[in-house]
Amino acid sequence: MTHPIEVHQLSKTYRLGFLMNRRVRALDKLDLTVREGEVFGLLGPNGAGKSTTIKILLNLVRQSSGTALVFGREPSSADARRLLGYLPENPAPYEYLTGREFVTLAATLGGVSSADRPARVSQVIEMVGMGQHASLQIRRYSKGMLQRICLAQAIVHRPKLLILDEPTSGLDPVGRRQIRDLILEERRNGTTILFCTHVIPDVEAVCDRIAVLVGGNRVREGTVNELVTSSVPLVEVTVESLSREKFDALGVPFNEVHAIGERLLVRTEDAHTQALLQKVLAAGGRVTRLLPARFSLEDLFIQAMNESHHRVGGRLL
Amino acid sequence: MIAAFSALMLNGFREARRNRVTLAVVFFAVLLLLGSAFLTEVTVSTFDRVLVDVGLGVMSLLMVLLAIFLSSGLLGREIERRTIFMMVSKPVSRATFLVARLAGTMLTLAVVLAAMGATFFLVLMLYGTRLHPTQFLAIGMLWMELLLLCSIGFLISSFSTPMISGLVTTCVFFAGHLSPDMYWAAERSKNLPLKYLGKAIYYVVPNLERFNYRPRATYFLTQPAGEVLLNIGYGLGYAIAATALAVIIFQRRDFK
Repeated sequence: MTHPIEVHQLSKTYRLGFLMNRRVRALDKLDLTVREGEVFGLLGPNGAGKSTTIKILLNLVRQSSGTALVFGREPSSADARRLLGYLPENPAPYEYLTGREFVTLAATLGGVSSADRPARVSQVIEMVGMGQHASLQIRRYSKGMLQRICLAQAIVHRPKLLILDEPTSGLDPVGRRQIRDLILEERRNGTTILFCTHVIPDVEAVCDRIAVLVGGNRVREGTVNELVTSSVPLVEVTVESLSREKFDALGVPFNEVHAIGERLLVRTEDAHTQALLQKVLAAGGRVTRLLPARFSLEDLFIQAMNESHHRVGGRLL
Repeated sequence: MIAAFSALMLNGFREARRNRVTLAVVFFAVLLLLGSAFLTEVTVSTFDRVLVDVGLGVMSLLMVLLAIFLSSGLLGREIERRTIFMMVSKPVSRATFLVARLAGTMLTLAVVLAAMGATFFLVLMLYGTRLHPTQFLAIGMLWMELLLLCSIGFLISSFSTPMISGLVTTCVFFAGHLSPDMYWAAERSKNLPLKYLGKAIYYVVPNLERFNYRPRATYFLTQPAGEVLLNIGYGLGYAIAATALAVIIFQRRDFK
């Protein structure tokens, strides 16, 4: 059975510099499978290899080794690219075109028949809420309008796989909600979506499964629930009458501490709760609240990064 | 594939048509061509020849500048602004994309050249200067020269920045017009390395003087068809080779 995306032992080393003698490894034997009909989130810090993975799938960059397949085909084949739509990060469409002209160009290149084209273009323009602005030149568009018209060009040829690179970056909350709704609408229509982002609430809202990449490797993969619940349980303790310096001197293990006015908000693993309470009380502090804390995706993200020793950016070889 | 090719080509034409530089070039060309009639005030007996020579010269200069601007900046701008990401990820081969963009540029140049040519012939007719087939030939061969320059501009743009591409294409333009002289000088040189260098430049750089029919148009001289066809073949061959090389490089390029 072929999956929309199958990546096996994928590596990419960029050669940089005037003499091309500096080498940076962006991907290191990455394995990844995206199943039909799911929204798959690709998370990771800057330079984790997310964009490189996407660019290999789109035939913008060629891998150094390993395989990347789109519906069982090499990305260099036009048949593979006919099945996918792409919204890049900070998209830059032809500014001299109107929104409608740009989507029509995308429809033509995507293989929409000339008979079907005008109706399909109008349909997707309405779908992304750009009906009123479609005859304006793109250079007059706001960031949100740009994002929406570029989403229209990505879906106009009815792709079976949609690759979205930071689709909500730079948008206001209303714009983000609209884009998220459009993504969910596409999923309801059966489109598989690869969603690459830094915005964790977006991932929690739309993704069925996620993978966390750090330093060109996959360090976590699973559903949001699996990843969050399989992690260590946490508690959130509110401490009063104790300064930050005194708290630090107690030597209790904790994940994070925030000083809010006179209070300290401490997040720690459940296993350390008893020791923390005893030491705080012994030091004259007061515990005013103790709540089980949900291990969020953000915690997971930070934990994954810490475990990988903050390998931010490609690795210089 | 034909629909995609036409769409990309017409998009290139639309881009140039909405570009202020193209409009400015057309405006100045028309102004200069109309203004060339003022030369009647300073010309005594060779009025016809001066009018033809200046008219074709203005067209040549402005069209070459426009060709270098369009061909060297087009791919580079697409790559720098990352517009190319959305185009190349469509089911269109990179070869189709590049050749269609070149075709769009040549279509733009053809339309601008036709507009300039119409103004030029209008001026000639207004002043009663006789029209001659070589004048049409000179304009047609100017387009061949532009095709060759644009294919070189695209070739350099396929792996470098717009600035380098523009610089190299400008150098090729000058070297291409001087290459017969360089060969002649190299032949007579006693310095052996200089001799080989001059000859090497002659064989590598296209001989753009093959497309310069302006002097013959100025003197109303007719041309043997065989020579014209040979020069067209030379131009097409060179342009196809440069474009093929550009396609090979462009297909292997990573868009980071």
